[in-house]
Parts: sequence; structure tokens; C-alpha cells
Amino acid sequence: MSRLRNLALIAVALIWLLPYAWMLSTSLKTLPEIVAAPAAPLPSGLNFDAYRAVFAAMPLGRYFWNTTVMALGIAAIQIALALPAGYALAKLQFTGRAVAFGLVVATLLIPAQVRFVPVFVLLADVGLANTMTALILPFGVSAFGTFLIRQALESVPDSLIEAARMDGASELRIVFGLLAPMLRPTLVSFFLFSFVYHWNDYFWPLVMTTDDSVRTLPLGIALLREQGTGVRWHIVMAGNVLLSAPALLVFALAQRHLLRAVVSRSP
Amino acid sequence: MKPRRPIDPYWMLAPTALLLALFFFYPLLFAVEKSFYDWDLLTPPRYVGFDNYRALLESGELLDAFTTTLSLSVVVVIGSMALGLGLALALNRPGAFASAVRAAIFSAYVVSWVSVALLWLWVLDSSAGALTLTLRKLGIPTLDWLGNPRVALYSLAGVTIWKIAGYAMVLFVAGLQDIPRQLYEAAALDGAGAVRRFFNVTWPLLRPTAAFVGTTSLILSFQVFDVVRVMTQGGPVRSTTVFVYAIYEQIFINLRVGRASAEVVVFFVVLLALTALQLWAWRGKPKGARA
Amino acid sequence: MSARTLARRSLVCGSAAAIGGVFLGCNDRRIPPGRTGVSLWFTYGGRNREVLEKLVQAFNTAQNRYYVHGVFQGDYFEGLAKLRTAIAARAAPALSHVVGEVIPYLAEAGVLEPLASYPGAAELDLIPELAQQKSWVGGDAHPLVCLPFNRSTPIAYLNGEIFARAKLEPPTTWDELRQTARALTLKSGDQVQRYGFGCPISWWFWVALVGQAGGEVVERDGTVSLGGEAGVRAIQFWQTLVADGSMKPPPGRDYNAWEATNQDYLAGRAAMIWTSTAFLKYLEDNARFPVVAARLPRDRRFAVPTGGTHWVMVRGAPAEEKAAAWEFLRFMHEPEQAMAWATRTGYMPVTRSAIGRLEREGYYAKHPNDRIAVDQLAVAMPWPWSPTLFRVQQEIVQPRLESAVFSKKDARAVLDQARALANRSLG
Repeated sequence: MSRLRNLALIAVALIWLLPYAWMLSTSLKTLPEIVAAPAAPLPSGLNFDAYRAVFAAMPLGRYFWNTTVMALGIAAIQIALALPAGYALAKLQFTGRAVAFGLVVATLLIPAQVRFVPVFVLLADVGLANTMTALILPFGVSAFGTFLIRQALESVPDSLIEAARMDGASELRIVFGLLAPMLRPTLVSFFLFSFVYHWNDYFWPLVMTTDDSVRTLPLGIALLREQGTGVRWHIVMAGNVLLSAPALLVFALAQRHLLRAVVSRSP
Repeated sequence: MKPRRPIDPYWMLAPTALLLALFFFYPLLFAVEKSFYDWDLLTPPRYVGFDNYRALLESGELLDAFTTTLSLSVVVVIGSMALGLGLALALNRPGAFASAVRAAIFSAYVVSWVSVALLWLWVLDSSAGALTLTLRKLGIPTLDWLGNPRVALYSLAGVTIWKIAGYAMVLFVAGLQDIPRQLYEAAALDGAGAVRRFFNVTWPLLRPTAAFVGTTSLILSFQVFDVVRVMTQGGPVRSTTVFVYAIYEQIFINLRVGRASAEVVVFFVVLLALTALQLWAWRGKPKGARA
Repeated sequence: MSARTLARRSLVCGSAAAIGGVFLGCNDRRIPPGRTGVSLWFTYGGRNREVLEKLVQAFNTAQNRYYVHGVFQGDYFEGLAKLRTAIAARAAPALSHVVGEVIPYLAEAGVLEPLASYPGAAELDLIPELAQQKSWVGGDAHPLVCLPFNRSTPIAYLNGEIFARAKLEPPTTWDELRQTARALTLKSGDQVQRYGFGCPISWWFWVALVGQAGGEVVERDGTVSLGGEAGVRAIQFWQTLVADGSMKPPPGRDYNAWEATNQDYLAGRAAMIWTSTAFLKYLEDNARFPVVAARLPRDRRFAVPTGGTHWVMVRGAPAEEKAAAWEFLRFMHEPEQAMAWATRTGYMPVTRSAIGRLEREGYYAKHPNDRIAVDQLAVAMPWPWSPTLFRVQQEIVQPRLESAVFSKKDARAVLDQARALANRSLG
């Protein structure tokens, strides 16, 4: 019975793994192979033509760099801003605290698709459209991150902070020097989660960039499905392998942390 | 705690407040304002009152976008929740094997939407895609998954479910693990079978998780864009023109920023209403649940 | 690693990334030193892209004053969208190419650079039907803002083998097309193995049909008539072919449908298709049967719209870039380049000298298929110089064509509704 269950579970896992295997296999084939025998599960040999074509068709290195810089920048700024904000919302009493918190959470209801045109026009007016700033700054605040940090800080005893204050530490030092290390698991998880999320983002770079100077990898790879003269699947799949690999790598290395970020969202 | 200096909380929140004002609240107001204008970005805006809203209603575009998105959303929410819950129940066990299977399923959530879209664009290809060829070999009739206007939207729903089922599963697993073992034991001692245990113990305590999964997958499915853009571009015959894609088209293809802003305002209101509805539908704490 | 370091590191990393990224993003043109660079945004994929890139490279190596940097922007629609937003953001390239339907709009909006005063503009020896002069009704009454680039007309491609076996001639009238299509449709039981005819249900082909039925999409005085009776006949023609079972309307949006048509033709699933002359080389190279090109048939008259794109320069770009762009355009209009472009893709040569040389060298004798589009120029329909034409295309007509043919709606009702909407919303 247990063996049957295990087989069933393997079958389930295959539903998620087989498409990737197929993608990889296709990327290693040649075009004549695909046309002649599209159903062949394995390529006839390790043919890297498709990968060469992808590298020749676009400045992959630049796109990769752009995407990584953007994602790192966003995640870093989000944490840098969410720490003091979360601290103020969690630990300090001041007028308008509830309103402030409400407003932060309310932004969760204003998705990117509602914001993009005004933001584009705003940035274009100051000459910042199609720049890395346009990709990073609008995401500088993460309501989710602020919420997470606030929640984590609520379980930190006030006495610790008061002790630090009596030791003469400034509020900034308390936040970044004392509390941040205590929140390390939360911060690491959130950083990874935000990094991966924005690395993968397609919509915002699509509407914010106009040429390929700050184009990100998802955009570049999506452009591979050129129409009109026959889609060259092996090239599209090779590009897709290159696009998926970094996220999967991060997932493989930091699975625990990523999962923690996902799960911590539940009430 | 009292702040050290009264000004402390304010400057700590200042950068956040500034960015929120600039990039969240101002855009919302801007969209509302521009919805009363006709503007193509190249020439100055022209005031047209409620014309944009009227045009959207009369052409049926608003209603079409709403019903298309709603159809997709219903399938995605129900599908991902059911699948996620089922997978969680089946895989909520210790051991490397179950962990590996869970990881395989969750991996789809980690890659980008473009990645998933391109992958399934190839698998669902009606002449050379893996799914078509496999079905043909098995003698099962196959459909034009992305080319048939009656099927395309549901193909996209399937792709979406494939991507987010892992997310639902992980959340449900966490929720399941929060349920104290004693409750099951007590129920079993009372003579309850597996099904009764599920409905009397598991489900009530899983409700908050289910509410969360339901709400987030509803909002996510209403914001679907990448798969549409990469796989069907709103077609065939506009059968996959969901809300966000319709907005995108208004701006980038039709260059009607005013009309797009009107659509954005409606979209925002719809999202608000849906979220409120969801929260209301899942309201109420089950008896005996922890706060 | 202490957490303070972690936090500090994140802050520094983040700021550095943001700042560094801005600079990275700003200046990454890879222009060789000492040259004036100009960006060319193009929207080709596949084979035609390679041809263009080779020509750009030839220009860059043939002289050392300017450097053209090509940027791929997706398909026509994506590229046009990006161009417009870039113009709005005042970050547009100096040079790009756009479809004819949108040029009157851009010209009236004042964003296109007038070209008449650039050196050598009058000596380009352009074929009038392909240039601004005759591509639009009264084209020469407006300041020159565009030069022809990849110009095309729709043509019919026949599967030579199938036609030879069935001993059929290319149809020259709508009725002949209908009969030929019916004759060549192969069914096995309920499944259609081969359609007699394939055609993307798309604006361009609808305009062709309207012209052939004797109508105009936009009248001379600017009213959007959508062809009137001719418009109805055009849709009904498609509906008839679909009802006959001899045409598979390929689903899919925009270029998905064109792609599907090409693939159907190559795979022998459609005996005869209508598509752009632009795919001539691609189809000839990939077909396993002789490809026979033919003119489109007539209903009341022979008529074809022109298609493809025109070069435009953006007015807001810096003067040096525009000068560089102009030099590149002159280069592209020299006979060698015009010939190279045409013979390697299937688009028409745009200068009279290029066509003359090709004829003298016997090119058309050896490649009769290439001649078809050129010959059809005699019946080419100019577009109306209407700033709302692209809206008619995108918002009014294109969305309704598919549903009209697919769901067999009453063509007259659909067009009446569309016309009413056009007059209301487009003024």
C-alpha cells in the first residue's frame, strides 16, 4: 500500500518535473531534430547551438547584470526602510500610529498595474524613465516587509530596548545594531523572497523600460518568441533554461529560508 | 514605549512615507484624475468628463474584461486551493522523500511567470507540443489548447494553477502542522473515521489558512498578466483579454491613457470589493481556535 | 558576520546598486570612440533581422564617422508601443521604422522629423507607389517625414505540386478562388486533411478584399465608411469560404495568425495562402514543394494595400544623431543595399535604380516569384492620410473581424456597429 502511495506521489512530482526536463531536452536539440521528431524525449546529442544562438541574439550578460542589480537594490532598500518603520510601528507610541500602519497595509491593495502609468509619467518628467532608478525606487517600500518586521519586533521585550537606551545607544543603532541581528532569520528570508520575486518580475520592467539598456532578463527571454518566420523552439527553450536556472539555484540552496518567508505570511 | 525624542517615530517613517506617497497614493489620485481626460502622451490632455467610462461601458469592454477575469479567477482559486489542500494532506509526512516531492512541486512557484509561460507555450503547442503528441499517441483526442477561443482561457487557468499549487500546498502543510496531535487522537478515540476527523478537526482549524490562500490566490488571479502577454496576447478573439491585459492594451496599443486610467480605477474598485468580500466570506473564528 | 555588518552591508550594497545601476543603465552604448552614435530601433525577428543586422554592420564598417546601434524591440506592435512611450518620455532613438497606418498620426502630433531639407533627399529616386508620395492619398501634399523601408503587398502563395497535380491555374477572380479552394480541400471523414485556402483574419487582408470589392475604408473627405457595401462583401467572402469548409481561419492574435498560416502552407495543410511578400524567401527556403507566387484575384477590380514599414526619424532627438541616421538612410537607399535587402527577404526594392538593375541583371527572369509584388504595385491602393486610421484598425476593425468570421455574425450588422462606434469615438 505504501509502495502504491509512493508511486502515486512520484507521478505527482513528475507533473512538475517533466515539463522542465522536456524544456532542457529541447534546448539541446537542433532545429531539424525538432521538426522531424518533436516527440523524442532525449536529444540525439548534447548540442549547444541553441545556447550559442541565444547568446548571439542578445546581450545576455548585460540583462543578467541588470536584473541582479535591480533585485539586489530593491531587496536591500526594502530592508533598510522597513527596519526603522517596523520598529516605529511596533515599539514607539506616537500620534497617528494606527493610521500610519493602516496606510502601509492599504498599499497592498494598490497593485503595480494601477500605479504604472502615473509613475512612468512622473519619472519621465524628471528624465528618469528607462533607468535603473525607475526599476528600483518605486519598490523601495515593501508593505509586506514592514508588516513582517513589525510582527517580529512585537515579540521582542521592551526591556531589551530600554537597556540599550540606558547604555547610550542611539535609536538607529538600536534598530540596526541590536534588533536587526535578532531578526536575522526573518530578514534573510525576506531578503531572499523579495530578491527572487523582483528578479522574476516581468510587468514592471516591461512598462518602465523602452530600450535594452536596462532591460531585464525575463523581458529579453520573452522576446525570443519571434513571430512570423517560425518559432525556433530550441532557442526559446535554451533561453528559458538560462532564465529559470538562477531562481532554481537560489531555491535549491536556500529552500528553508524561502519557505519560511512564504509561510510566515499566514496569520 | 515612549520614543526618545518626540520626533523619532516620524523621521523613522519618513522615507517610507515619502516613497508611499510618491509611488502609491499619488499614482492612485493621478489615475482618478486622468480618467476624466483624453490623452495620448504625445499631445496635451483634453478634458472629456465621464466619456471614458461611458465608452468603456458601451463598448462592453469593461464587462468583457471583468467576466473573462472572473472566469479565470474562479477556476484558479478553486483549483489551486483544492489541489494545494490535497497535496498538503498527501505530503504532510516527515522524511526526505516527501520533502523532495514537495520541493519539486514548489519549484514552479519560484521561477518567473515568463519562464512558466514559455515552457507551457511549447508543451501546449498544437502541432509539436509534448502534451499534444502524448495525447495523440494515447489515442485521446486533443484540442487546440491556446488557439481555440473556448479553451484558451482555461488552458491559461491550468498553467496558473500549475504554478501556484505549490504555494497553496506549502501554506496548507504549515497550517496542518499547527494542529495539535491530541485533537486527532481525541477524535479517533471518539470513534471518528478519517473523513469525520477531517471535517470536525482539520477543516475548522485550517480555515484561517484556507482564507489566506483563497484571498491571495483570488487577488493574484485577478492580476494575471504575464502568461496572457507571453502566451496568447489577449486572443484568440479576445477570449483571454483579462483586466490587466486590457489596461495594457489601452495604453500601449491604443495610446488612450485617459481611458486606461478609467479602466484602472474600475479595476482598483473591483479588487477592493473582492478583497472585502473574501474577508467577509471567511469571517468568524471557529470555536476553540487559537487567536 | 555580525548583524551590524549585515545591516550596514545591505544599506551600502543597496545604495551602491541603485546608484551604480543608474550609471550602468545610462551609458552602455558600446559605440567606438570618436564616432557619433545613433540608435536604430527595429522590430524584426528571424531571418529578416539577420539581413538587417548585416546591412547595419556593412554601414558601420564602410565609414568611420557614424555608428548605428541596432536595438531589437519585439514585433511591430511592441516596437511601436515602446517608440511612442519613449517619445513621451523624451528618451526616443533618432531612427526607427513604423507601419504606414500610424504615420499620419505621428506626423500630425509633430513628433516626426521633416526630411526634405536633408542633403540628397530629392535625389533618392524612390518608387512613388512605395514612397510617401503615393503611399497615402495626397502624400506629397504633406511635408516629407518618412522613407520606404520594407515595403510589401499581400500576395498569394500556391503549392506548386498540388496545383500541378490538380491541373489548376491560379484563380483570378473571387469566384475562381472559391471553386479552386473547394476543389483542393481534402477531407477524410470529418477531419480536414488539407484546406484549399488559408488567410490570416487580419486588417490588412480585409482592406485588400474591400479594395477588390470596389470600396475604400476611409473616404476622401475623411468619413470612416469601412468600405460600405464592399466592407460587408469582404467579410462575407471569408464567411463563405469558412462555411464551404475550404478555409481554416487561423486563430491567434496578430502575428500568431500569420505564423500559423505560414506553417499550414509549409506543412501542406493549406494548398494556397494569402500572406505578405515579405515571407517569400522564408517560404521558398523551407518548402518541400515548388512555391508559386501569384497576384491576388479581383472581385470588381484588382486592388492591394501596401504594407511593411517606413523609416522615420524622431524630431526630439539630438541633431548629431539625426545627421548620423540620415547618412544611414542614404546608404540603405543606394542600389546595392536596396537590392540586397529586397533579394534576401522578399520585400520590394524601393528605388527605381534598384529595380532597373535587377531587371537588367536578369534577376526577375530567374526569380519570377519576386516579380509578383512589384507588378501588383500597378493596382496598389494608397492609404488615407488620416490620423485616426490606426485607431480604426486597432480599436474598431481588428477586434471585430475575428469574431465576425469565427462566430458567423451578420457582417452588415457588425460593420454598422463598428461604423457607428468609429464615428462616435473618433470624431
